[in-house]
Amino acid sequence: MRILIAVAVGVVVLSGCQTIPKPPPDPEAELIERGREIFFNETFDGNGRTCGTCHPASNNFTIDPAFIETLPDDDPLFVAEFNPDLATLERPELMRKFGLILENLDGFDDLENKFVLRGVPHVLGLRTSIDSPQGPRTGWSGDGAPGDGSLRAFATGAVIQHFAKTLNRVPGVDFRLPTEEELNALEAFQLSLGRQQDLSLPLPLKDVVPLRGQEIFLDNSLGKCNICHRNAGANARLGDQDLGNANFNTGVEDLPDQPQDLTSEFVPPDDGFGTPGDGTFNTPSLVEAADTGPFFHNNAIETIEGAVAFFNGDAFNNSPSGRFLANIDPNGVGIKLDGTQVVAVAAFLRVINALENIRQSIAFLQTVERGTFRTREEATGLLERALNETDDSVRVLSDGGLNPGAVADLGEARRLTKKARWSFFFRRRYAREAIIELERARGKLVETS
Amino acid sequence: MLRLYIVLFVTVSVLGGVSSAHCQKMTEIFIPIGQSPGLSGKYSIIGKIETVNSQGQTITIVDPSGSHIARITERTKIWLDKSKLGLSNQKGSFADLRKGLTVEVNYEKPSGKEGAEAEWIKVEISGG
Repeated sequence: MRILIAVAVGVVVLSGCQTIPKPPPDPEAELIERGREIFFNETFDGNGRTCGTCHPASNNFTIDPAFIETLPDDDPLFVAEFNPDLATLERPELMRKFGLILENLDGFDDLENKFVLRGVPHVLGLRTSIDSPQGPRTGWSGDGAPGDGSLRAFATGAVIQHFAKTLNRVPGVDFRLPTEEELNALEAFQLSLGRQQDLSLPLPLKDVVPLRGQEIFLDNSLGKCNICHRNAGANARLGDQDLGNANFNTGVEDLPDQPQDLTSEFVPPDDGFGTPGDGTFNTPSLVEAADTGPFFHNNAIETIEGAVAFFNGDAFNNSPSGRFLANIDPNGVGIKLDGTQVVAVAAFLRVINALENIRQSIAFLQTVERGTFRTREEATGLLERALNETDDSVRVLSDGGLNPGAVADLGEARRLTKKARWSFFFRRRYAREAIIELERARGKLVETS
Repeated sequence: MLRLYIVLFVTVSVLGGVSSAHCQKMTEIFIPIGQSPGLSGKYSIIGKIETVNSQGQTITIVDPSGSHIARITERTKIWLDKSKLGLSNQKGSFADLRKGLTVEVNYEKPSGKEGAEAEWIKVEISGG
């Protein structure tokens, strides 16, 4: 009996420890991995911040007040609060309350008065969302990068703006600039995140409300969303002209009662692209919107429903973009939706966000299930990212009261992913079972062939 | 008519009256000569000022490939690169462009050289 038990234990242990053949070296994958390492760990000899300080993987590569609240007071994000040399690097109250980061986009000659406060854009889906005929568009106003203005060069500007030990910003003293090799790796890593291609709308959605929302979204005489957010992405098409990732003045700065303006803090106006600015801001992708709020360049609106409703208001309809839409409308209307239509468009955005969460979660789990990861640590990281994505899908659907059946399946997928995360012997089996639940949830949201 | 509106909209709202998507880049002031990502060694030129023409608001720069003229306009940003001294870089002016100084010139258009307008000029301040 004892022998049998020993054999059985041996079989189980050996099967759990089976050797997974290492994938062959892939230069692109190695560059991306190097970029990941730099993105999350490299401080560039600065004030302790990394790219991941403001773009954490666990929060969709962005920060918001709820996430900020979870951080310890000595987190490098709060360096302006505990380092007197950096007192004017941020406006701490506005960062904590509204997730706003200080940027000196119009120059560094008057740090007390000349700055703007912006939300942190996520870095998902960059492969499809920064190219334009005028060159790459980075940051909220599309002109965030020094050098050649590319995503690759963006990291250099970010180090200078956000990583400095003192506001003298002397390279080699207050920080070091990224090397060419580091810039290449950071670019490769960022381009690897999220979607690698745009959706092709319409999708065969199953629920009537998001389905109607999609119709409104695509209707150039009603929602008109697809003109500037083609296929719910970040690229515009006007008539037969592809504008790529374009800038528009949509009047967000003219919104009344913006949260940061309701405080006693000094909040200068943000004039957008250029110096002096032309009032335009860059178009974000919408597929990733529902789980990456607050919305717009200044985090002015907290909910996706509010963000859709913005386009009904005077601020948008009196803006250059709103007036343009009214001019080409036979009835002279910019955008005018009723409450149910606003909710329907938001429901559509919630569902496509959830579908993207599911896609990503499955991709992470498949890497684990197929054993094509390099280290156990990497597999754990992939399972944690799968968990985050599944959590997000549950949140964006349930917060909109959408498809409880899919939400239940996603909950089960979450449970199995968690088991895979902590299992030593059955990690791949749980990953496989979690994928089945995710696919089941997807099948409840959209027709799958 | 629609086409006209579209052209107008694209011009005003999209391009915003500027010709390049990367005309701002205010952190550029802090990047030392020769280290501007994607520009240095590719599009910008680095050399010594040979002549300064105050009347014509131009400078001639000599680099290993020969001499180049850059026109300074009201849009041209002139920056003093003091990074070798461990000091913060500063805004400069036309008066800071003096014969013999090392400069990096980036033209407004990547292909534009020989008398074209400079987008920015960095002037190396290494002592004295």
